[in-house]
Amino acid sequence: MSIQRALITLNSLENGTRGLAVDSRFQLTVTMLYLVAVLSVPLADPGMLVWMFVYPIVMAEASGTGYGRVLLRSLWVLPLAAVIGIFNPILDNSPAWHIGSVTVSAGWVTFISICLRGLLAVQAVLVLIYSTGFYALCTALQRMGLPAVLTTQLLMVYRYISVLLQESLSMSRARAARGFGRKNYPLQLWGVMVGQLLLRSVERARRVHNAMLARGFSGVLPAADPRPIRATDLLYLAGWTAVFALLRFVDISEILGNLINPVS
Amino acid sequence: MSHHYIQFSDVHYRYPGGVEALGGVTFRVTHGEKVALLGQNGAGKSTLLLHTDGLLLPTSGEVNVGDVPVRKSTLKLIRQTVGLVFQNPDDQLFMPTVADDVAFGPLNMGLPPGEVRRRVETSLAAVGASELADRPSFQLSGGQKRAVAIATVIAMEPDILVMDEPSANLDTGARRRLLDILHGFSHTMLVATHDLDLALELCPRAIVLDRGRVVADGSTAALLANRQLMQSTGMDIPASLLAYLRSLAPCIEG
Repeated sequence: MSIQRALITLNSLENGTRGLAVDSRFQLTVTMLYLVAVLSVPLADPGMLVWMFVYPIVMAEASGTGYGRVLLRSLWVLPLAAVIGIFNPILDNSPAWHIGSVTVSAGWVTFISICLRGLLAVQAVLVLIYSTGFYALCTALQRMGLPAVLTTQLLMVYRYISVLLQESLSMSRARAARGFGRKNYPLQLWGVMVGQLLLRSVERARRVHNAMLARGFSGVLPAADPRPIRATDLLYLAGWTAVFALLRFVDISEILGNLINPVS
Repeated sequence: MSHHYIQFSDVHYRYPGGVEALGGVTFRVTHGEKVALLGQNGAGKSTLLLHTDGLLLPTSGEVNVGDVPVRKSTLKLIRQTVGLVFQNPDDQLFMPTVADDVAFGPLNMGLPPGEVRRRVETSLAAVGASELADRPSFQLSGGQKRAVAIATVIAMEPDILVMDEPSANLDTGARRRLLDILHGFSHTMLVATHDLDLALELCPRAIVLDRGRVVADGSTAALLANRQLMQSTGMDIPASLLAYLRSLAPCIEG
């Protein structure tokens, strides 16, 4: 059942794969640096962006998430990126590349860049959430100085998605049990169900909140076990910073090209 | 240690809709006592329990936990003293993993990380759920959820344990394990339940509520054997007690 699948996915996101022994604050910082590196690549240079795929691929595999999963999810952003860049090929007709006898206009080159940027940015964030988990990410944000009001809200909104899903699961089961295989329901029934869902979720949320209050919740999510910064964390940060600098400021394609075709 | 008591003094509570849920409740649970709170659905048991932890404050009257009156200003202290286990463990477990959930209370109390870890380990061990520490709560069975819900509360090391329907939805095996766990606790205990056999086994004393009022307070066995009381409050004499009574006096009618 799709709602049940959503619940399980949600939970796996919440916990993360925990495949990396790196502090979530450092993972977050590296992701930010990566986003800066990706967004600073000129739109006229999609070749450099292609090299930037190294980070999500390596991180997805290293954290045990699997790049296929990340790639698949990130494809959802393509239509949005395409809408943003759709006018570039129309407005900018000046020739940029010659591939054989085909001339590619600068508009198409920037269009490709925009799509790649979108993919890379979303993949980096997905890798971050998959590997650290939403909970660790929110506490990392809190420990990095983001006000607790914001991080707690973020986490609670996320937590209550599962409350909403659980309630809709039990409602759709109850409906299916007395639906005798019926697939289509009138709009009126949907209206009633959505209303019911809201009321049930509010009631459930109230009970969960009571349980939190009973255990001393005071509006701020307590940060779990603050781990001291280790050498691996610093190494992780330094290593990726160096890689990003290399990918951003050195034209690797040209160097490789020179290696393959040495100038005589 | 005589301060681990709960005192209700003429407590009234009216829900915002106007329904009177408690109509002048007075009783005292003294240190180390295990007391069952009995009554049919809607008698006011859950409302009463929410008062012990300050989740509801009386419309009139006063609740005291030890020497501390339950008021907005004393809630922090009250909630460290009284551990409330809710009826539905799904409402109680909301963190990503079992260990996170058990750590939630101690972290809110501001305890150092080492102490939090110790409490997570000892409370999970106390309910026999140590191996569940890293599991997500929603994947647990009903009995496991109940055990973990109790662990989340005892991790705060409360002096008084208040439970709402602890044996609801449990199979016989899980119910037996729960009873064994509860027998092992030395806390002052107030347990609202429809499980009259559990009340009989666990709690020497019972309080019977009916329409928001205390209608009987005394020895659990005596109250449960009181046919008139049981009938007037919509309950049945538990089968185990009836069998025992019959064995004593075969003339007792079914």
